[in-house]
Amino acid sequence: MKEVDVRGLSCPMPLMQTKQALDDGTRDLLVLADSGTAKANVVALLSDAGFNVTVEDTGAEYRITAVRD
Amino acid sequence: MGKRRVVGPTAWILGGAGLFIGAVAAWLVSQGNPGNMGLCIACFLRDIAGFFVGGVTNQGAVAYIRPEIIGIILGAMGAALVMREFRPRGGSAPLVRFVLGFIFMGGALIFLGCTVRAWLRLGGGDLSALWGVLGIVAGVLAGIVVLKRGFNLGRGKTLAKPLGWVLPALAVVLLAFALLAAFGAKPEFATQTKEGAFATGDKPPAVFLKADGVPDQVLKPEGGSLAEDGSIVSEDGSVVASADSVAAAKPQPGGKRAALWVSLLAGLAIGVVAQRSRFCSIGGIRDAILVKRFDLLFGVIGLVVGATVVNLLLGQYNLGFTNQPVAHNDALGSFVAMTVAAFAAMLLGGCPFRQVIMGSEGDADSTMAVAGMLAGAGFMHWGTLASSAKGLAPMAWPALGVMAVILVAIALFGARKKA
Repeated sequence: MKEVDVRGLSCPMPLMQTKQALDDGTRDLLVLADSGTAKANVVALLSDAGFNVTVEDTGAEYRITAVRD
Repeated sequence: MGKRRVVGPTAWILGGAGLFIGAVAAWLVSQGNPGNMGLCIACFLRDIAGFFVGGVTNQGAVAYIRPEIIGIILGAMGAALVMREFRPRGGSAPLVRFVLGFIFMGGALIFLGCTVRAWLRLGGGDLSALWGVLGIVAGVLAGIVVLKRGFNLGRGKTLAKPLGWVLPALAVVLLAFALLAAFGAKPEFATQTKEGAFATGDKPPAVFLKADGVPDQVLKPEGGSLAEDGSIVSEDGSVVASADSVAAAKPQPGGKRAALWVSLLAGLAIGVVAQRSRFCSIGGIRDAILVKRFDLLFGVIGLVVGATVVNLLLGQYNLGFTNQPVAHNDALGSFVAMTVAAFAAMLLGGCPFRQVIMGSEGDADSTMAVAGMLAGAGFMHWGTLASSAKGLAPMAWPALGVMAVILVAIALFGARKKA
C-alpha cells in the first residue's frame, strides 16, 4: 500500500500529492492528513476517482484509506 | 463501488455554499452595508484596523468593527469544534505568511476589494471588476508556475493548545469593543465612522449627516455649519466645501452598515457554511487548472449567481463600468493589483476568507496571515496608498512594484523540491 503524508501542508499540496499517487497508477493507498480541509479535499478526490474511501480519526491525524478493485 | 466522475457531491455542496454566501452578501447591502460590499474580507479587516488605529492612519471614513468578521470567526470555530476539526497547528513560515497577508491587503486596497468582493462586484453588475477577475486569473497562473516548481512554505505541526485560540479570542475582544461602541461607550483612542455620514471630495473633506435626504448636521470641520446657500463653512466663516461639492458628497463606506445583530448573525451563518464547505475565492481556478478538480470553481460560480439573483430581486443590480459603488475604473491598476493579491493568496494556500476560516479552526499560521492583513490595511491608509473611487493613489504603482518584487523573492526562496 502506497503511503502519502500530507500532514502540515497548505492547499493545494495535499491534492497535488494524492493526485500524483493516482497518476502513478496506485490502486490502494493510505493518506495521512491533519486538517479538516485536507481530509475533505483528499476524500472528495479519491471518491470521485472511484475509490472506496474510509477515514479513521486518531485524534492527532486522519488516516484515509482508499482502495479500488 | 464508486464510479469515476468529474463532478461529485462536494461540487454541488460548494455550489450551494457559494449561492448562500453570495445571496446573503447581496442581502446585507439592502440592510445597509456599502454597495457590492455585503461581504469583503479585506475591506472589513481594514475597517476593523481603522477602529483601533484610524486616528493615526487617516481612516476616519473606514473605521468600524464589522460584526460579520466576528460572526464568521465564531461560526467557523463552532462548526470546527462540533465536527472535531478544531486543531491547534502552525509553524509553517509564520513570518512569511504575515508578509503575504500584508501584501494581499495591499493589492486588495488598490483594487478596492478582496478576491471575494471581486466576484461580488461582478454579481452586482460592476463590469469594472472584470479587470480584477482577470488579475485573479493571472495571479493564480503565476502561483501555479511556482507550485509546479515545488514551492511550499514547509510543514506545519501540532501546536500547544492555547496557540490555536488566538483568532477566536480576538473575535471575542472585537465583540466586546463593538458592543461598547454600539452602546455609546467607545473608548477615547478608538475611531468609528458615524453611521450614515457623507464626505465631500475636498481636502480635507467636509463630513456631515443628512436628515430626510438633505444635509443636516456638520461633523467636520468641528464647529462648522451649513450656510444658506448649501455650502459648509468653518467656525471662522471660510468656505470648506462649496454647495456643489456638498451636493456631490458620497457616503463614507465605514458609515454604511447593517444593524449589528443582523451583521453578526449573517456572519455566523456564513462562517458555518464556509467552514463546512471549504469555500475559497481563488482555489476554484487553481484546482481546475492544476489538478483538474472543479469543486471549488462551483463555489465561486455559485457566489456570483447567488449575488446576481438577489441583487436583481432587490433592485440593486446596476450593469456597467462606471458609477459603481466603492470602485474605480482603472483597468490596468485593477488588473495588476489583483494579480499581486491573488499571487500572494496562492503562496498562502488560500484566499483571505480561507485564512480567516482556518485561523478559526486553530491554524496559527492563518492567524498570522490575518494579522498581516490588519497591519497592511493600516499601513496602506497611513501611507495614502489605498485607492479611492477617483482612482489609484499617486504612489500606488511603486507600491505594487515593491510588492511584486517581494512576492517573486518569496516564491524563489520557497521553491524546494521536497515537502
